[in-house]
Amino acid sequence: MDFFNSMNISSSALSAERTRMNLISSNLANANATRTPEGGPYKRKDAVFAATPIENSFSRALNNAATQGGRQVAVQQIIEDQNPPRMQYDPAHPDANAQGYVAMPNVNVIEEMADMINATRSYEANVTAVQAAKSMAMKTLEIGK
Amino acid sequence: MPLDGIFNSTVDILGKSIDLRARQQNLLSSNIANAETPNYIPKALAFEDELQGALKAGDKRAQTATNARHLPLKGAASRVSSVNGRIIETPTASPGKDGNAVELESEMGRMIENQIMYNASVQLLSKQFLDLRTAIRGQ
Repeated sequence: MDFFNSMNISSSALSAERTRMNLISSNLANANATRTPEGGPYKRKDAVFAATPIENSFSRALNNAATQGGRQVAVQQIIEDQNPPRMQYDPAHPDANAQGYVAMPNVNVIEEMADMINATRSYEANVTAVQAAKSMAMKTLEIGK
Repeated sequence: MPLDGIFNSTVDILGKSIDLRARQQNLLSSNIANAETPNYIPKALAFEDELQGALKAGDKRAQTATNARHLPLKGAASRVSSVNGRIIETPTASPGKDGNAVELESEMGRMIENQIMYNASVQLLSKQFLDLRTAIRGQ
């Protein structure tokens, strides 16, 4: 049925936004982490979103007109920000180099906060879309009552 | 009198409207879901003109019956059921730097409009059946 497609699309976006939220949390939490298992300071992570056709073998088999044009969203890739680390002068730090500078993560806390608000609003928009689909589906059940 | 007489074209039109709006909801969900996907162009279903055209064409056909004994063709209804709408792209005038052309505000607005029109169609259809039931029961 149509509305389940609609809800599937919205829930794919909810899960993508949640992944993004996880990455933002990770960036904020590690904004001052100078050591990582890979060595060097923490690198900012970001999600790459991609529109993908609706994953529903049943409708694909039928080549259903109802699913045409609709696209889910998926996190295709998680990338590491390749910008250079922020150099901070702190000679007392154990990770300081010969000149007394410490390589800090390339995370900009203000940018992350703005991104977080963005992710929250996107999440809310998708929740509204799910609610709309649900109320339409429930309304349909009232025909003939 | 054939059943066509009871379930006149109103039922077909409202049914079609519900069907098309359900598909529209699909596309709008897709636009909102991809509001942050690079290079995504939002889509919508355009069917208002086609539906109106089908209704007008249907009327004309009904009027061209040249003999009173011609069986009534369910002109409007059969044309209405063939309306499928077409998927159009609705990019915003100012796409973002990542090539994404979704404007969340207008998509939400479209979705609310679609929802209201859907509910209106359902309510009218419901009322139509209710009226029929009243007529059948005679009370």
